[in-house]
Amino acid sequence: MYNKALPPAPTRVSQYGVDPKTVVKRGAELKNIVGVPLTDLVTGLPPVIFPGGSNDVAVIRKETEAALAKVDMSKITAGSTVNILASHHGFTFFGGQPYAEMLRTIKDVVEQATGCKEVRLRAGLGMRFRETEEYIKAHGLDEYFNGKALGIAPIDAGIPIETELGTLFGLRKAYDADFIIHAHNSDVREVHFHRQVDRAVKPFGMSYARCETRSTYHMNLGPRAANFVARSIFESEFVQSKFAFACFLTMSPAGATGVDADTDLYALNDRVTVGGMRDYGKIMTLFGAIDECIAILDFPCPVPYVFACGVIYANMACANMDVFDLDYPLPPYTWYTETMYDDHGNPLIPEVPPVNPAIKTVVHNYAWIGYPSVFFAEKSPTIVVGKQQAELFDRDPMNLNYMKHALLADNLDGAMEFAYHTTGTRKVILFDGAAGGLNVSEPLAEHLYKVAPGVMERVEQKLLPKWLAQRNVDPALLDQVA
Amino acid sequence: MKTVRVQAQVDMELCQGCKTCQMVCPVYAIEVSRVDGKPQVNIDHDLCVGCWNCEQRCPDHAISMAPCEPFDLATDVSKFDYDEIHALCRKAHFHPKQLVCYCTATRAEEVAAAILDGASDPAEVVRACGVGSGCGIECNQPILRFLEAAGKTFERHKLSYQWYGRTATVWDVSDQVKKEHPGFRFDSDRDLLNSVVEAPIDNTKS
Ligand code: SF4
Ligand code: SF4
Repeated sequence: MYNKALPPAPTRVSQYGVDPKTVVKRGAELKNIVGVPLTDLVTGLPPVIFPGGSNDVAVIRKETEAALAKVDMSKITAGSTVNILASHHGFTFFGGQPYAEMLRTIKDVVEQATGCKEVRLRAGLGMRFRETEEYIKAHGLDEYFNGKALGIAPIDAGIPIETELGTLFGLRKAYDADFIIHAHNSDVREVHFHRQVDRAVKPFGMSYARCETRSTYHMNLGPRAANFVARSIFESEFVQSKFAFACFLTMSPAGATGVDADTDLYALNDRVTVGGMRDYGKIMTLFGAIDECIAILDFPCPVPYVFACGVIYANMACANMDVFDLDYPLPPYTWYTETMYDDHGNPLIPEVPPVNPAIKTVVHNYAWIGYPSVFFAEKSPTIVVGKQQAELFDRDPMNLNYMKHALLADNLDGAMEFAYHTTGTRKVILFDGAAGGLNVSEPLAEHLYKVAPGVMERVEQKLLPKWLAQRNVDPALLDQVA
Repeated sequence: MKTVRVQAQVDMELCQGCKTCQMVCPVYAIEVSRVDGKPQVNIDHDLCVGCWNCEQRCPDHAISMAPCEPFDLATDVSKFDYDEIHALCRKAHFHPKQLVCYCTATRAEEVAAAILDGASDPAEVVRACGVGSGCGIECNQPILRFLEAAGKTFERHKLSYQWYGRTATVWDVSDQVKKEHPGFRFDSDRDLLNSVVEAPIDNTKS
């Protein structure tokens, strides 16, 4: 007997998604969907501080204050200007409440500890140039930061930064202060891109960077070498002269596990690296053990970013490969991979791995525009629910061809019926942001319970030691990371 | 190739004349001026490629995208000797059939053809084949790599935040950087990208 489905993350009003009123049924409301607690499947997860109990963000404030109490802020003086650098990713967890509270607390603590009165917020983003403006508004951060909270986009004014790779370009508004505080979250997210190499450093080459730099990462260096972009910027004299400390909301697939802060970003990076591989490595390897499924996308984020147990759909599309294993050069989805198919959809070289063949069909019930997503519709049969979503995608300059590869269904039930008939599978997984567990169909729940113990053992005994060795990270750190 | 179906329009009731739209336009289609102290925004619809940059960055939400008579941004690859296209692609380290713009599905061969057809700065390349008129982020470097490979130099517009310049590729990384940071596997990734550049053309036909 299984538990009833977990509540999915709520829909959101955004210019990047359809009007929530048009999302008339969520995947979790389908009659055969059950909720599987993550702790039933994944062993050794650290305790979660949020969500839990009354979901009061006071616990985030307390943890942030405790983490910051150990940080030397003596560089910052009463007359300094300080930019807290944030990113949109943090706002996608639990509607952004915990991350927003961490940002507010950093401001308060820095002001109290240093007397500084000029603490601003600069929130970087992915490809939706008003996304963090929306979060700033939704969480009242503009008022909290006395009108000094800004969304910053990769086409905004740039600033050259001299690095070991030559000149790269940051965003002027990110660096227009005496000091910067790097405020991020630690979930692995785009592990297909960063491969858990310098995970904590990545925003320096992305959210805080100009499009030239981001294009360098995704087009110029190759799938693993690309991670040097962020490191070279972070290590530049310019950034080092401004860097005060980093403060991270630490995450596991079950939720936020704490707050970690450090003036040594690489020390924090090592902790984030081991925690991420240990916890997300297990759930991602478990996703790789799904033999066949219908994936329902049902979360307020662009197609590859909808998530289940903290794992984004792009990682499901890559789950037929061990993306943590750096010996594999090319995951099934990265922007390098996407370029390597010709105009007939054939790979240009044999090293291009296929998109996870276990995904038999994708039912796109609710996902946003604002990220080039046609690759996913090209590579897996896709059914989009509702003409409003189809129209939204048709007018998105990043998704002009998405609907050329997707079918359109009037409603979720019709889409599911078609998917069941054409795939022959009854295994369904929802990427709906449910907290603390997975929403799946009963046959998939049964499969997961059967294979999970073997997967956990394989990760702990074989894979994790290999992943750590590839990154020169001391396994003893595992004991230090909650 | 891109079919443009919407173009920018401005509501002067809302405009404060800040010039952000002008600064973020990748094809220099916008000019903001002041006449008798009042802002004037001129959007040249012969140039606008419908990228939404201005709509997304205007702090006063004065710009919207309006449907227009659809037109194509495209260069006919067959007009050129394919060996010439192939040679330019190889010089820029791309395979001719490689995708260089995810949003518009523009391939390297069309960018090469656009340059052979006379496009000589980034804005002209965008207008010639649509590359760079989607997200405006990821294909930035491929465009600049192609122009450099073709020997085209250009002055960066002073009144623009766009096209700051070409940055490093894996073919430029110094031996010292490789030696000091072996974990980033520069040579192995360079070999992977080289194998794409050198992949046969015939094999790509279905
Ligand atoms: S960005 Fe907006 S407010 Fe500024 S000049 Fe352009 S239209 Fe006017
Ligand atoms: S939509 Fe793009 S191309 Fe057109 S005017 Fe605005 S910024 Fe320029």
